[in-house]
Amino acid sequence: MSRPVASLDRAAEDLLRELAPQVLGALVRRYGHFDLCEDATQEALLAAALQWPADGQPANPRGWLITVASRRLLDQARHEQSRRRREDQVAVATPHAELLGPAADAGPGTGRDDSLALLFGCCHPALSAPSQIALTLRAVGGLTTAQIAAAFLVPEATMAQRISRAKRTIKDSGIPLTLPAGPEFAQRRAAVLHTLYLIFNEGYVSSSGQQLTTPALSGEAIRLGRWLHRLLPDDAEVAGLLALMLLTDARRAARTRPDGSLVPLEEQDRRRWDQALIAEGTSLLTAALPRGDPGPYQLQAAIAAVHDEAADMDSTDWPQILGLYELLEQLAPNPMTTLNRAVAVGRVHGPAAGLGVLAALQPDRRLSSHHRFYATRAHLLEQAGDASAAVADYRAAARRATSLPERQYLAAQAHRLAAVTG
Amino acid sequence: MKYLMLIYGNQEKWNSILGESWPEEIAKQEAFNTKYRETGELLGAYGLADAVQAKLIRRQGGAPAITDGPYLETKEYIASFYLLDCESAERAEQIAADMPWADREPVEVWPILHESPEP
Repeated sequence: MSRPVASLDRAAEDLLRELAPQVLGALVRRYGHFDLCEDATQEALLAAALQWPADGQPANPRGWLITVASRRLLDQARHEQSRRRREDQVAVATPHAELLGPAADAGPGTGRDDSLALLFGCCHPALSAPSQIALTLRAVGGLTTAQIAAAFLVPEATMAQRISRAKRTIKDSGIPLTLPAGPEFAQRRAAVLHTLYLIFNEGYVSSSGQQLTTPALSGEAIRLGRWLHRLLPDDAEVAGLLALMLLTDARRAARTRPDGSLVPLEEQDRRRWDQALIAEGTSLLTAALPRGDPGPYQLQAAIAAVHDEAADMDSTDWPQILGLYELLEQLAPNPMTTLNRAVAVGRVHGPAAGLGVLAALQPDRRLSSHHRFYATRAHLLEQAGDASAAVADYRAAARRATSLPERQYLAAQAHRLAAVTG
Repeated sequence: MKYLMLIYGNQEKWNSILGESWPEEIAKQEAFNTKYRETGELLGAYGLADAVQAKLIRRQGGAPAITDGPYLETKEYIASFYLLDCESAERAEQIAADMPWADREPVEVWPILHESPEP
Protein backbone atom coordinates (compact mmCIF):
# COMPACT_ATOMS: atom_id res chain seq x y z
CA MET A 1 0.00 0.00 0.00
CA SER A 2 1.46 3.33 -0.94
CA ARG A 3 0.23 6.58 0.49
CA PRO A 4 -0.29 9.45 -1.94
CA VAL A 5 2.32 11.50 -0.13
CA ALA A 6 2.43 14.23 -2.74
CA SER A 7 -1.14 15.32 -2.04
CA LEU A 8 -0.32 15.98 1.59
CA ASP A 9 1.82 18.91 2.58
CA ARG A 10 5.06 18.25 4.38
CA ALA A 11 3.80 19.35 7.79
CA ALA A 12 0.75 17.10 7.60
CA GLU A 13 2.89 14.15 6.47
CA ASP A 14 5.28 14.76 9.38
CA LEU A 15 2.33 14.95 11.77
CA LEU A 16 0.91 11.66 10.50
CA ARG A 17 4.24 9.89 10.96
CA GLU A 18 4.59 11.43 14.43
CA LEU A 19 1.14 10.21 15.40
CA ALA A 20 1.45 6.73 13.84
CA PRO A 21 3.09 5.04 16.86
CA GLN A 22 0.79 6.84 19.31
CA VAL A 23 -2.30 5.63 17.46
CA LEU A 24 -1.01 2.08 17.11
CA GLY A 25 0.16 2.04 20.73
CA ALA A 26 -3.23 3.18 21.98
CA LEU A 27 -5.02 0.58 19.85
CA VAL A 28 -2.78 -2.26 20.98
CA ARG A 29 -3.24 -1.32 24.62
CA ARG A 30 -7.03 -1.29 24.26
CA TYR A 31 -7.60 -4.24 22.00
CA GLY A 32 -4.46 -6.35 21.88
CA HIS A 33 -3.92 -8.03 18.50
CA PHE A 34 -0.85 -6.16 17.35
CA ASP A 35 -1.08 -7.50 13.80
CA LEU A 36 -4.70 -6.40 13.27
CA CYS A 37 -4.11 -3.03 14.95
CA GLU A 38 -1.10 -2.42 12.75
CA ASP A 39 -3.13 -2.96 9.58
CA ALA A 40 -5.93 -0.76 10.91
CA THR A 41 -3.47 2.04 11.75
CA GLN A 42 -1.97 1.95 8.25
CA GLU A 43 -5.48 2.18 6.81
CA ALA A 44 -6.30 5.14 9.04
CA LEU A 45 -3.11 6.90 7.88
CA LEU A 46 -4.11 6.25 4.28
CA ALA A 47 -7.60 7.62 4.94
CA ALA A 48 -6.08 10.74 6.49
CA ALA A 49 -3.77 11.25 3.52
CA LEU A 50 -6.79 11.06 1.21
CA GLN A 51 -9.30 13.07 3.23
CA TRP A 52 -7.34 15.77 5.01
CA PRO A 53 -6.21 17.63 1.88
CA ALA A 54 -9.85 17.81 0.74
CA ASP A 55 -11.73 18.20 4.03
CA GLY A 56 -9.10 19.98 6.07
CA GLN A 57 -7.19 18.68 9.05
CA PRO A 58 -9.42 17.66 11.96
CA ALA A 59 -9.17 19.61 15.22
CA ASN A 60 -7.88 16.54 17.05
CA PRO A 61 -5.84 14.61 14.49
CA ARG A 62 -4.78 11.95 16.96
CA GLY A 63 -8.35 11.29 18.10
CA TRP A 64 -9.49 11.25 14.48
CA LEU A 65 -6.91 8.60 13.58
CA ILE A 66 -7.68 6.47 16.63
CA THR A 67 -11.39 6.62 15.84
CA VAL A 68 -10.93 5.70 12.18
CA ALA A 69 -8.45 2.92 13.00
CA SER A 70 -10.78 1.54 15.70
CA ARG A 71 -13.65 1.47 13.21
CA ARG A 72 -11.52 -0.42 10.72
CA LEU A 73 -10.54 -2.83 13.44
CA LEU A 74 -14.16 -3.32 14.39
CA ASP A 75 -15.24 -3.79 10.77
CA GLN A 76 -12.54 -6.34 10.30
CA ALA A 77 -13.42 -8.13 13.51
CA ARG A 78 -17.10 -8.29 12.48
CA HIS A 79 -16.12 -9.58 9.09
CA GLU A 80 -13.89 -12.22 10.62
CA GLN A 81 -16.57 -13.19 13.07
CA SER A 82 -19.30 -13.63 10.54
CA ARG A 83 -16.92 -15.63 8.41
CA ARG A 84 -15.45 -17.88 11.00
CA ARG A 85 -17.36 -17.19 14.19
CA ARG A 86 -14.18 -16.34 15.88
CA GLU A 87 -14.66 -15.57 19.52
CA ASP A 88 -11.31 -14.17 20.34
CA GLN A 89 -11.70 -10.77 18.77
CA VAL A 90 -11.52 -8.41 21.68
CA ALA A 91 -12.69 -5.55 19.55
CA VAL A 92 -16.14 -7.06 19.16
CA ALA A 93 -16.64 -7.01 22.88
CA THR A 94 -15.70 -3.36 23.05
CA PRO A 95 -18.65 -1.02 23.52
CA HIS A 96 -19.41 0.76 20.30
CA ALA A 97 -19.59 4.13 22.01
CA GLU A 98 -16.05 3.80 23.23
CA LEU A 99 -14.83 3.29 19.70
CA LEU A 100 -16.70 6.19 18.18
CA GLY A 101 -16.23 8.69 20.97
CA PRO A 102 -13.28 11.04 21.06
CA ALA A 103 -10.10 9.40 22.16
CA ALA A 104 -10.38 8.95 25.89
CA ASP A 105 -6.66 9.42 26.30
CA ALA A 106 -6.27 12.40 24.01
CA GLY A 107 -4.80 14.56 26.74
CA PRO A 108 -1.31 15.99 26.43
CA GLY A 109 1.62 13.79 27.33
CA THR A 110 -0.30 10.55 27.10
CA GLY A 111 0.71 7.89 24.67
CA ARG A 112 4.31 8.03 25.84
CA ASP A 113 4.33 4.54 27.35
CA ASP A 114 2.24 3.14 24.49
CA SER A 115 4.68 4.43 21.92
CA LEU A 116 7.69 3.25 23.89
CA ALA A 117 6.14 -0.18 24.43
CA LEU A 118 5.55 -0.40 20.71
CA LEU A 119 9.15 0.44 19.87
CA PHE A 120 10.45 -2.01 22.46
CA GLY A 121 8.14 -4.71 21.07
CA CYS A 122 9.37 -4.14 17.52
CA CYS A 123 12.92 -4.74 18.74
CA HIS A 124 12.13 -7.97 20.55
CA PRO A 125 14.96 -10.55 20.39
CA ALA A 126 12.61 -13.13 18.81
CA LEU A 127 12.79 -11.04 15.62
CA SER A 128 15.78 -11.04 13.27
CA ALA A 129 17.60 -7.75 12.77
CA PRO A 130 16.06 -7.13 9.29
CA SER A 131 12.60 -7.81 10.74
CA GLN A 132 13.19 -5.45 13.67
CA ILE A 133 14.24 -2.73 11.26
CA ALA A 134 11.32 -3.24 8.86
CA LEU A 135 8.76 -3.41 11.64
CA THR A 136 10.17 -0.40 13.47
CA LEU A 137 10.05 1.69 10.30
CA ARG A 138 6.46 0.71 9.62
CA ALA A 139 4.86 0.52 13.07
CA VAL A 140 6.85 3.28 14.78
CA GLY A 141 8.08 5.30 11.82
CA GLY A 142 4.73 5.24 10.04
CA LEU A 143 6.36 4.50 6.67
CA THR A 144 4.47 2.47 4.12
CA THR A 145 5.73 -0.92 3.01
CA ALA A 146 6.43 0.57 -0.42
CA GLN A 147 8.59 3.31 1.08
CA ILE A 148 10.57 0.86 3.20
CA ALA A 149 11.02 -1.50 0.23
CA ALA A 150 12.27 1.38 -1.92
CA ALA A 151 14.73 2.47 0.75
CA PHE A 152 16.20 -1.05 0.94
CA LEU A 153 15.99 -1.64 -2.84
CA VAL A 154 13.91 -4.78 -2.50
CA PRO A 155 10.59 -5.55 -4.21
CA GLU A 156 7.55 -4.41 -2.24
CA ALA A 157 6.31 -8.01 -2.09
CA THR A 158 9.51 -9.07 -0.38
CA MET A 159 9.26 -6.32 2.22
CA ALA A 160 5.57 -7.14 2.74
CA GLN A 161 6.53 -10.75 3.45
CA ARG A 162 9.19 -9.65 5.89
CA ILE A 163 6.77 -7.40 7.77
CA SER A 164 3.90 -9.89 7.86
CA ARG A 165 6.27 -12.58 9.06
CA ALA A 166 7.53 -10.30 11.82
CA LYS A 167 3.95 -9.56 12.84
CA ARG A 168 3.15 -13.26 12.85
CA THR A 169 6.18 -13.90 15.06
CA ILE A 170 4.96 -11.30 17.53
CA LYS A 171 1.49 -12.84 17.48
CA ASP A 172 2.65 -16.46 17.72
CA SER A 173 5.25 -15.98 20.40
CA GLY A 174 2.89 -13.91 22.51
CA ILE A 175 5.37 -11.09 22.87
CA PRO A 176 3.74 -8.65 25.27
CA LEU A 177 3.63 -5.14 23.91
CA THR A 178 4.26 -3.61 27.27
CA LEU A 179 7.37 -1.93 28.58
CA PRO A 180 9.72 -4.49 30.11
CA ALA A 181 10.90 -3.79 33.63
CA GLY A 182 14.18 -4.18 35.52
CA PRO A 183 17.23 -5.66 33.79
CA GLU A 184 15.14 -6.60 30.75
CA PHE A 185 14.44 -2.93 30.16
CA ALA A 186 18.15 -2.21 29.86
CA GLN A 187 18.69 -5.18 27.52
CA ARG A 188 15.83 -4.25 25.27
CA ARG A 189 16.82 -0.60 25.30
CA ALA A 190 20.19 -1.72 23.94
CA ALA A 191 18.38 -3.60 21.13
CA VAL A 192 16.28 -0.52 20.37
CA LEU A 193 19.34 1.73 20.13
CA HIS A 194 21.09 -0.86 17.95
CA THR A 195 18.12 -1.01 15.57
CA LEU A 196 18.05 2.78 15.21
CA TYR A 197 21.80 2.79 14.62
CA LEU A 198 21.47 0.08 11.94
CA ILE A 199 18.79 2.14 10.19
CA PHE A 200 21.06 5.17 10.34
CA ASN A 201 24.04 3.28 8.95
CA GLU A 202 22.04 1.71 6.16
CA GLY A 203 21.17 5.20 5.02
CA TYR A 204 24.65 6.54 5.59
CA VAL A 205 26.63 3.83 3.84
CA SER A 206 24.38 3.20 0.84
CA SER A 207 24.11 6.83 -0.12
CA SER A 208 23.49 6.19 -3.81
CA GLY A 209 20.32 7.68 -5.29
CA GLN A 210 17.55 7.56 -2.74
CA GLN A 211 14.15 8.22 -4.19
CA LEU A 212 13.08 11.75 -3.45
CA THR A 213 9.71 10.61 -2.15
CA THR A 214 11.39 8.11 0.15
CA PRO A 215 12.57 9.66 3.36
CA ALA A 216 16.25 8.82 3.54
CA LEU A 217 16.92 6.20 6.14
CA SER A 218 19.49 8.27 8.04
CA GLY A 219 17.01 11.11 8.33
CA GLU A 220 14.39 8.68 9.57
CA ALA A 221 16.77 7.23 12.18
CA ILE A 222 17.56 10.76 13.39
CA ARG A 223 13.86 11.61 13.54
CA LEU A 224 13.18 8.48 15.61
CA GLY A 225 16.24 9.26 17.76
CA ARG A 226 14.93 12.77 18.48
CA TRP A 227 11.54 11.29 19.29
CA LEU A 228 13.05 8.69 21.64
CA HIS A 229 15.16 11.38 23.31
CA ARG A 230 12.00 13.40 23.99
CA LEU A 231 10.37 10.31 25.55
CA LEU A 232 13.46 9.39 27.60
CA PRO A 233 15.15 12.76 28.22
CA ASP A 234 17.20 11.49 31.16
CA ASP A 235 18.70 8.54 29.31
CA ALA A 236 22.31 9.47 28.55
CA GLU A 237 22.84 6.68 25.99
CA VAL A 238 19.75 7.72 24.04
CA ALA A 239 21.22 11.22 23.95
CA GLY A 240 24.58 9.67 23.03
CA LEU A 241 23.13 7.80 20.06
CA LEU A 242 21.29 10.87 18.82
CA ALA A 243 24.47 12.93 19.18
CA LEU A 244 26.48 10.28 17.32
CA MET A 245 24.01 10.26 14.42
CA LEU A 246 23.92 14.06 14.22
CA LEU A 247 27.71 14.44 14.43
CA THR A 248 28.17 11.80 11.73
CA ASP A 249 25.40 13.06 9.47
CA ALA A 250 26.89 16.56 9.68
CA ARG A 251 29.65 15.41 7.28
CA ARG A 252 27.29 13.99 4.67
CA ALA A 253 27.65 16.76 2.09
CA ALA A 254 31.45 16.52 2.19
CA ARG A 255 31.54 12.75 2.16
CA THR A 256 30.78 12.07 -1.49
CA ARG A 257 31.61 13.81 -4.75
CA PRO A 258 28.87 14.62 -7.27
CA ASP A 259 29.76 11.41 -9.16
CA GLY A 260 29.07 9.37 -6.02
CA SER A 261 32.70 8.59 -5.25
CA LEU A 262 33.84 8.55 -1.66
CA VAL A 263 35.88 11.32 0.00
CA PRO A 264 37.93 10.05 2.97
CA LEU A 265 37.88 12.09 6.17
CA GLU A 266 41.30 13.61 5.58
CA GLU A 267 40.34 14.96 2.15
CA GLN A 268 36.90 16.28 3.08
CA ASP A 269 36.17 19.97 2.67
CA ARG A 270 35.35 20.69 6.29
CA ARG A 271 33.68 24.00 5.41
CA ARG A 272 30.86 21.87 4.01
CA TRP A 273 30.18 20.17 7.33
CA ASP A 274 26.81 21.13 8.79
CA GLN A 275 27.63 23.35 11.77
CA ALA A 276 24.05 23.37 13.04
CA LEU A 277 24.05 19.56 13.34
CA ILE A 278 27.49 19.65 14.97
CA ALA A 279 26.30 22.21 17.51
CA GLU A 280 23.18 20.20 18.29
CA GLY A 281 25.13 16.95 18.66
CA THR A 282 27.82 18.58 20.79
CA SER A 283 25.35 20.17 23.17
CA LEU A 284 23.47 16.87 23.60
CA LEU A 285 26.74 15.17 24.39
CA THR A 286 27.90 17.92 26.75
CA ALA A 287 24.69 17.51 28.72
CA ALA A 288 24.89 13.70 28.75
CA LEU A 289 28.54 13.04 29.59
CA PRO A 290 28.60 14.54 33.12
CA ARG A 291 26.07 11.91 34.20
CA GLY A 292 29.05 9.58 34.41
CA ASP A 293 29.83 6.07 33.14
CA PRO A 294 29.42 6.97 29.46
CA GLY A 295 28.14 4.09 27.35
CA PRO A 296 29.43 3.08 23.90
CA TYR A 297 27.22 5.52 21.97
CA GLN A 298 28.37 8.48 24.06
CA LEU A 299 32.00 7.43 23.54
CA GLN A 300 31.54 7.11 19.79
CA ALA A 301 29.76 10.46 19.73
CA ALA A 302 32.65 11.98 21.69
CA ILE A 303 35.10 10.65 19.06
CA ALA A 304 32.95 12.08 16.27
CA ALA A 305 32.84 15.42 18.14
CA VAL A 306 36.65 15.57 18.41
CA HIS A 307 36.89 15.05 14.63
CA ASP A 308 34.13 17.57 13.95
CA GLU A 309 35.79 20.36 15.95
CA ALA A 310 39.20 19.97 14.26
CA ALA A 311 40.20 22.15 11.32
CA ASP A 312 42.06 19.29 9.65
CA MET A 313 43.56 15.84 10.23
CA ASP A 314 46.85 17.13 11.64
CA SER A 315 45.32 19.47 14.19
CA THR A 316 42.93 16.75 15.38
CA ASP A 317 43.35 15.83 19.03
CA TRP A 318 44.51 12.28 18.30
CA PRO A 319 45.64 11.49 21.87
CA GLN A 320 42.10 12.21 23.04
CA ILE A 321 40.65 10.03 20.26
CA LEU A 322 43.04 7.24 21.20
CA GLY A 323 41.97 7.49 24.85
CA LEU A 324 38.31 7.32 23.84
CA TYR A 325 38.91 4.26 21.64
CA GLU A 326 40.72 2.56 24.52
CA LEU A 327 37.73 3.18 26.77
CA LEU A 328 35.36 1.98 24.06
CA GLU A 329 37.37 -1.18 23.50
CA GLN A 330 37.25 -2.03 27.21
CA LEU A 331 33.53 -1.33 27.39
CA ALA A 332 32.42 -3.05 24.19
CA PRO A 333 35.24 -5.17 22.71
CA ASN A 334 34.84 -5.39 18.95
CA PRO A 335 37.44 -5.98 16.22
CA MET A 336 36.21 -2.89 14.32
CA THR A 337 36.93 -0.76 17.38
CA THR A 338 40.42 -2.25 17.59
CA LEU A 339 40.89 -1.38 13.92
CA ASN A 340 39.96 2.22 14.65
CA ARG A 341 42.25 2.25 17.66
CA ALA A 342 45.09 1.08 15.37
CA VAL A 343 44.52 4.18 13.22
CA ALA A 344 44.66 6.40 16.31
CA VAL A 345 47.78 4.62 17.59
CA GLY A 346 49.34 5.21 14.17
CA ARG A 347 48.63 8.94 14.48
CA VAL A 348 49.90 9.25 18.05
CA HIS A 349 52.81 6.79 18.16
CA GLY A 350 53.65 6.34 14.47
CA PRO A 351 52.62 3.85 11.77
CA ALA A 352 54.82 1.02 13.07
CA ALA A 353 52.94 1.04 16.38
CA GLY A 354 49.63 1.04 14.50
CA LEU A 355 50.75 -1.97 12.46
CA GLY A 356 51.66 -3.69 15.73
CA VAL A 357 48.03 -3.37 16.87
CA LEU A 358 46.86 -4.90 13.57
CA ALA A 359 49.32 -7.79 13.83
CA ALA A 360 47.67 -8.79 17.11
CA LEU A 361 44.29 -8.75 15.36
CA GLN A 362 45.22 -10.96 12.44
CA PRO A 363 44.08 -14.31 13.87
CA ASP A 364 40.51 -12.96 13.93
CA ARG A 365 39.18 -14.55 10.74
CA ARG A 366 35.98 -12.53 10.79
CA LEU A 367 38.03 -9.38 10.50
CA SER A 368 40.95 -10.53 8.36
CA SER A 369 38.60 -11.21 5.45
CA HIS A 370 37.07 -7.75 5.83
CA HIS A 371 38.07 -4.96 3.46
CA ARG A 372 38.54 -2.47 6.29
CA PHE A 373 41.31 -4.55 7.80
CA TYR A 374 43.29 -4.39 4.53
CA ALA A 375 42.42 -0.76 3.90
CA THR A 376 43.63 0.25 7.36
CA ARG A 377 46.82 -1.77 7.04
CA ALA A 378 47.43 -0.38 3.55
CA HIS A 379 47.17 3.14 4.92
CA LEU A 380 49.58 2.44 7.78
CA LEU A 381 52.00 0.62 5.45
CA GLU A 382 51.96 3.59 3.09
CA GLN A 383 52.74 5.97 5.96
CA ALA A 384 55.52 3.64 7.07
CA GLY A 385 57.01 3.88 3.56
CA ASP A 386 56.36 0.30 2.45
CA ALA A 387 54.66 1.22 -0.82
CA SER A 388 54.63 -2.18 -2.49
CA ALA A 389 53.03 -3.90 0.50
CA ALA A 390 50.56 -1.01 0.71
CA VAL A 391 49.59 -1.45 -2.97
CA ALA A 392 48.97 -5.15 -2.39
CA ASP A 393 46.78 -4.39 0.62
CA TYR A 394 44.82 -1.67 -1.18
CA ARG A 395 44.12 -4.21 -3.94
CA ALA A 396 43.15 -6.87 -1.40
CA ALA A 397 40.83 -4.34 0.25
CA ALA A 398 39.26 -3.33 -3.09
CA ARG A 399 38.49 -6.95 -3.90
CA ARG A 400 36.69 -7.37 -0.59
CA ALA A 401 34.76 -4.10 -0.53
CA THR A 402 31.01 -4.48 -0.32
CA SER A 403 29.96 -1.21 -1.90
CA LEU A 404 30.89 0.17 -5.28
CA PRO A 405 32.08 3.63 -4.12
CA GLU A 406 34.34 1.98 -1.55
CA ARG A 407 35.75 -0.45 -4.09
CA GLN A 408 36.44 2.33 -6.56
CA TYR A 409 38.10 4.44 -3.90
CA LEU A 410 40.37 1.59 -2.78
CA ALA A 411 41.23 0.58 -6.35
CA ALA A 412 42.13 4.21 -7.07
CA GLN A 413 44.42 4.28 -4.03
CA ALA A 414 46.21 1.14 -5.28
CA HIS A 415 46.49 2.66 -8.74
CA ARG A 416 47.83 6.00 -7.45
CA LEU A 417 50.47 4.39 -5.26
CA ALA A 418 51.51 1.84 -7.90
CA ALA A 419 52.00 4.68 -10.40
CA VAL A 420 54.26 6.56 -7.95
CA THR A 421 56.38 3.56 -7.11
CA GLY A 422 56.54 2.38 -10.71
CA MET B 1 22.85 -7.37 1.38
CA LYS B 2 22.00 -9.06 -1.88
CA TYR B 3 23.51 -12.29 -3.18
CA LEU B 4 23.34 -14.21 -6.45
CA MET B 5 23.22 -18.01 -6.31
CA LEU B 6 24.12 -19.89 -9.46
CA ILE B 7 23.90 -23.53 -10.35
CA TYR B 8 25.57 -24.99 -13.40
CA GLY B 9 24.90 -28.02 -15.50
CA ASN B 10 24.60 -29.49 -18.98
CA GLN B 11 22.19 -31.73 -20.85
CA GLU B 12 24.06 -34.88 -19.95
CA LYS B 13 23.76 -34.12 -16.30
CA TRP B 14 20.05 -33.36 -16.57
CA ASN B 15 19.52 -36.58 -18.52
CA SER B 16 21.14 -38.55 -15.75
CA ILE B 17 18.78 -37.13 -13.12
CA LEU B 18 15.67 -36.65 -15.20
CA GLY B 19 13.02 -39.22 -15.89
CA GLU B 20 10.81 -40.47 -13.13
CA SER B 21 12.28 -38.44 -10.32
CA TRP B 22 11.95 -35.14 -12.20
CA PRO B 23 8.56 -34.06 -10.75
CA GLU B 24 9.88 -34.87 -7.31
CA GLU B 25 13.01 -32.80 -7.88
CA ILE B 26 10.95 -29.89 -9.16
CA ALA B 27 8.68 -30.13 -6.13
CA LYS B 28 11.70 -30.01 -3.81
CA GLN B 29 12.98 -26.94 -5.58
CA GLU B 30 9.58 -25.27 -5.43
CA ALA B 31 9.37 -26.05 -1.72
CA PHE B 32 12.75 -24.36 -1.28
CA ASN B 33 11.59 -21.34 -3.28
CA THR B 34 8.37 -21.02 -1.27
CA LYS B 35 10.22 -21.34 2.02
CA TYR B 36 12.58 -18.47 1.29
CA ARG B 37 10.02 -16.29 -0.44
CA GLU B 38 8.07 -16.45 2.79
CA THR B 39 11.01 -15.38 4.88
CA GLY B 40 11.35 -12.43 2.51
CA GLU B 41 14.87 -13.50 1.55
CA LEU B 42 14.32 -14.91 -1.95
CA LEU B 43 13.68 -12.11 -4.41
CA GLY B 44 13.48 -14.29 -7.51
CA ALA B 45 14.33 -17.70 -8.93
CA TYR B 46 15.00 -18.14 -12.63
CA GLY B 47 15.71 -21.20 -14.78
CA LEU B 48 17.51 -20.66 -18.08
CA ALA B 49 16.74 -22.23 -21.45
CA ASP B 50 19.22 -24.64 -22.99
CA ALA B 51 22.55 -23.25 -24.10
CA VAL B 52 21.68 -23.82 -27.78
CA GLN B 53 19.24 -20.93 -27.34
CA ALA B 54 21.91 -18.53 -26.11
CA LYS B 55 23.03 -15.86 -28.56
CA LEU B 56 25.90 -13.46 -28.66
CA ILE B 57 24.92 -9.97 -29.71
CA ARG B 58 27.35 -7.36 -30.94
CA ARG B 59 26.87 -4.05 -32.63
CA GLN B 60 28.79 -3.77 -35.88
CA GLY B 61 28.60 -0.56 -37.89
CA GLY B 62 25.59 0.49 -35.83
CA ALA B 63 23.62 -2.68 -36.61
CA PRO B 64 23.13 -5.71 -34.40
CA ALA B 65 25.15 -8.78 -35.36
CA ILE B 66 23.90 -12.02 -33.82
CA THR B 67 25.81 -15.25 -33.52
CA ASP B 68 25.34 -18.43 -31.52
CA GLY B 69 26.96 -18.31 -28.15
CA PRO B 70 30.35 -19.88 -27.54
CA TYR B 71 28.83 -21.48 -24.50
CA LEU B 72 28.32 -24.77 -26.32
CA GLU B 73 32.06 -25.24 -26.10
CA THR B 74 32.03 -25.08 -22.32
CA LYS B 75 31.28 -28.21 -20.38
CA GLU B 76 28.77 -26.66 -18.04
CA TYR B 77 26.75 -23.52 -18.28
CA ILE B 78 24.44 -21.56 -15.98
CA ALA B 79 21.24 -23.50 -15.45
CA SER B 80 19.45 -21.28 -13.01
CA PHE B 81 19.97 -18.28 -10.80
CA TYR B 82 18.47 -17.02 -7.58
CA LEU B 83 18.46 -13.55 -6.16
CA LEU B 84 18.66 -13.31 -2.37
CA ASP B 85 18.45 -10.43 0.05
CA CYS B 86 19.55 -11.50 3.50
CA GLU B 87 21.24 -10.33 6.65
CA SER B 88 24.77 -11.63 6.16
CA ALA B 89 27.13 -13.73 4.06
CA GLU B 90 26.74 -16.48 6.65
CA ARG B 91 22.99 -16.49 6.10
CA ALA B 92 23.42 -16.62 2.30
CA GLU B 93 25.75 -19.61 2.71
CA GLN B 94 23.20 -21.29 4.97
CA ILE B 95 20.45 -20.79 2.36
CA ALA B 96 22.69 -22.09 -0.43
CA ALA B 97 23.42 -25.23 1.59
CA ASP B 98 19.67 -25.74 1.86
CA MET B 99 19.28 -25.94 -1.96
CA PRO B 100 17.83 -29.38 -2.76
CA TRP B 101 20.78 -30.43 -4.90
CA ALA B 102 23.51 -28.93 -2.77
CA ASP B 103 24.45 -32.43 -1.58
CA ARG B 104 25.31 -33.35 -5.19
CA GLU B 105 26.34 -30.16 -6.94
CA PRO B 106 27.92 -27.02 -5.53
CA VAL B 107 26.02 -23.75 -5.53
CA GLU B 108 27.94 -20.59 -6.33
CA VAL B 109 27.25 -17.62 -4.07
CA TRP B 110 28.26 -14.15 -5.23
CA PRO B 111 27.77 -11.01 -3.16
CA ILE B 112 26.11 -8.28 -5.23
CA LEU B 113 28.16 -5.12 -5.01
CA HIS B 114 25.91 -2.63 -6.66
CA GLU B 115 22.37 -2.20 -7.83
CA SER B 116 21.17 0.59 -10.05
CA PRO B 117 18.56 2.38 -7.98
CA GLU B 118 15.10 3.08 -9.34
CA PRO B 119 14.80 6.52 -10.90
